[in-house]
Amino acid sequence: MNLLRFGHDAYGERVLNGVSWDLLPVAFWAGVAVIVGHLIYRALRRGSGKSGS
Amino acid sequence: MTNDNQKLQRHAGIDRLFHWITAVVMTVLLVTSLLPVVGLRFAWYSVHWMSGLLLTLIILLHIVRALFWQSAGSMLLSGADFSARRAGKYTLAQKLMHLGWTLAVLVAIVTGLLLLRKAGVPFIDRDPYAWSLRAWGLVTLLHDLAALLSVFLVLVHVYFAILPEKRAYLRAMVSGLITRRDLAAEHDVERAERGE
Repeated sequence: MNLLRFGHDAYGERVLNGVSWDLLPVAFWAGVAVIVGHLIYRALRRGSGKSGS
Repeated sequence: MTNDNQKLQRHAGIDRLFHWITAVVMTVLLVTSLLPVVGLRFAWYSVHWMSGLLLTLIILLHIVRALFWQSAGSMLLSGADFSARRAGKYTLAQKLMHLGWTLAVLVAIVTGLLLLRKAGVPFIDRDPYAWSLRAWGLVTLLHDLAALLSVFLVLVHVYFAILPEKRAYLRAMVSGLITRRDLAAEHDVERAERGE
């Protein structure tokens, strides 16, 4: 997986173009991970009789 | 004796309008920028820059309103957020979400405005040679990172908005009102009403 995306200038030198779009699924799944993590935390809190938040 | 069902004003109409217009504009910006990335090709640029300028205008108005008409301090992190004291108007989680959006949106706006020069719009002549390729690359990198952070924040923000025990906040963002009971679940009602 690449972190950055590159192009080439008129002289063939490599230049930075931006973030690699390989990271788009990473951003998505990071959000999903927080959601799943919170759902587990919430379930555990409810299981122990505390109000979930 | 206090009435738990008493409805308290949480968000003024202008702030709810700001929130929902921002939500629509951010959705348009993410759709027009990221769908081409995943292979759905269409003429995205005009809609994207116009939405970006609209977002810039909305955020400027929000900043002015927050500084001069609202208690801006209620959204800032403070030591009290990490103590056992009950939250004021906003909880620590809400402040962190706002901080995340502030970072993503301000970086996206500043870099987006700079990129208008590179790509050109009807009122700014296109000049991709105004800066070096390396400089444009860094600006684009920051713009892309703001987009990725926004994807993450949209997911987390929408999740917490629709969570049953947090639904009172969503209702308040629609109607402007929250019951004293719902507010008291996580907030010091007196502090929240003072806008602390």
